[in-house]
Amino acid sequence: MNVRGVYIEDTFAEAFTMRVARIVITARNPKWAREAALKLTGFATSVIGCKCEAGIERVLRSGETPDGRPGLAILLMAMGKDDLPKRLIERIGQTVLTCPTTACYDGLPDAPDRVGVGSALRFFGDGFQSSKVIDGHRFWRVPVMEGEFLVQEKFGMVKGVGGGNFLILARSADAALEAAEAGAEAMSGLAGVILPFPGGVVRSGSKVGSRRIKSMIASTNDAYCPTLRAVTETALPEGVNSVLEIVVNGVDAPAIAGAMRAGIDAACRDGVVAITAGNYGGKLGPHHFHLRKIMSEGGGA
Amino acid sequence: MTAGLLARLRAPLAARADLGEALALGWVALSPAELARRPIRLDGRAAALGDLFDLSGEPRGRIRFEGDLRLADRLAAGLGEGEVTVDGSVGDDVGSGMAGGTVVIRGDAGVRAGAAAPEARRGMTGGELVIHGNAGPAAGTRMRRGLIAIRGRAGAGAGATMIAGTVVIMGAAGPETGLWSKRGSIIALGRISIPATYRYACTYQPAYLRLVLTRLHTRHGLPIKPRHLSAFFRRYSGDLADLGRGEILEWTAK
Repeated sequence: MNVRGVYIEDTFAEAFTMRVARIVITARNPKWAREAALKLTGFATSVIGCKCEAGIERVLRSGETPDGRPGLAILLMAMGKDDLPKRLIERIGQTVLTCPTTACYDGLPDAPDRVGVGSALRFFGDGFQSSKVIDGHRFWRVPVMEGEFLVQEKFGMVKGVGGGNFLILARSADAALEAAEAGAEAMSGLAGVILPFPGGVVRSGSKVGSRRIKSMIASTNDAYCPTLRAVTETALPEGVNSVLEIVVNGVDAPAIAGAMRAGIDAACRDGVVAITAGNYGGKLGPHHFHLRKIMSEGGGA
Repeated sequence: MTAGLLARLRAPLAARADLGEALALGWVALSPAELARRPIRLDGRAAALGDLFDLSGEPRGRIRFEGDLRLADRLAAGLGEGEVTVDGSVGDDVGSGMAGGTVVIRGDAGVRAGAAAPEARRGMTGGELVIHGNAGPAAGTRMRRGLIAIRGRAGAGAGATMIAGTVVIMGAAGPETGLWSKRGSIIALGRISIPATYRYACTYQPAYLRLVLTRLHTRHGLPIKPRHLSAFFRRYSGDLADLGRGEILEWTAK
């Protein structure tokens, strides 16, 4: 299969089941909502080193938020259902509670699995906190120096998918970056997905384990490193001098497939030789995103 | 309202009627005939709801009362479920001790709306009571939880001795509003005289008020304006003669 002259390899991205929460942050204006969101989603690229993965899902209009103020929706994901509440509490507590004018709400109100967040953060109020039940949901009012921090007591948790991906194999670093930027741009803001890496792009794709250090969980994906073409079992076609990866997480498989389709389509441009994907032989992750199937469903040829 | 039950008053009430037992127990699945057998008291004598009202419609968790109910007391007392609407004014003790559900009064309410029954320690413990007209004295006294919204004026002592919950008063609030409250919030969008036992804390924008006021607008059609949502409120803590963990939030144009 080719898309505008770019070869689509007959392979698949292998992804994993994760637990996901949607956090809605509002503030007096978009600037402060974004400030809190950027801090909350900082250092959350991979569970390997960050314990969770997070990203801004999309900007919310005033009419879409519970309190009618500007806001952002964030997806935060962790591997286990015991991990997610911890990550929510520590990140909301350190980045949203601390940020001027913000309030924090659950973005998955229909999820039957609920985890306590405001119920833990309220203790920062040192006994001066109070709660309100509004439309059947409890909210905690935590007094702070600025005024008052409002946070919902419980957040919904659902099973999501982490680790959707595709690799852009390009003739040059410039072409790879240009294609990756276009791909990430096309995927950003789509409902139900996040791109947890910087700008949505990864330059250091990894393989499981290490050739030399047994304790390492992951190490560089040498098969796709252009500088190692001559000294390792390379997977790079002739003429490829740079590879970038886009990783996408989401609330479900269809959301990821849709985002991958949009991203791959945008990334297929001059200077790109091929699109491939990372997998572990299909033995580790239950979700397989076959590139050619995804692109053919989207009308790619 | 097109769905649910309709209770149409057969004839104007000539004496006070106590409807306190009509909706206190589960009622949302009852047919008109079943609901008509619910006991009431008329001028102190035992009667049935069907003696006063023609009941019709389908049980859909809603009931609408039509007629002049100013002599009908304790409507929706102890309510735990469903939505009750009165197309006009109602007597005393509406929603007394209600624990859930929604009561909407299109006109005025008498004394002690959403308050505690004389023998009870607590008033409302849940649900929403929305009065589109004025409320008589002592609305929400000893309420423990839930929301009372009064579009018009509130008589003396609204929210007095309240334990928790929220009372929103859009018109003028009478004297002694919030007196002896332990916790809970009184939101005054109109004129209010702050009791001497409350102390000014600050002027700020409580985020939760946007949720409360937006809900009153979208769910109940109360005329909440952008100036209310974006407003600053003067916060008074009280009643400091009691537990002192309550608040009066007074709307200010500043």
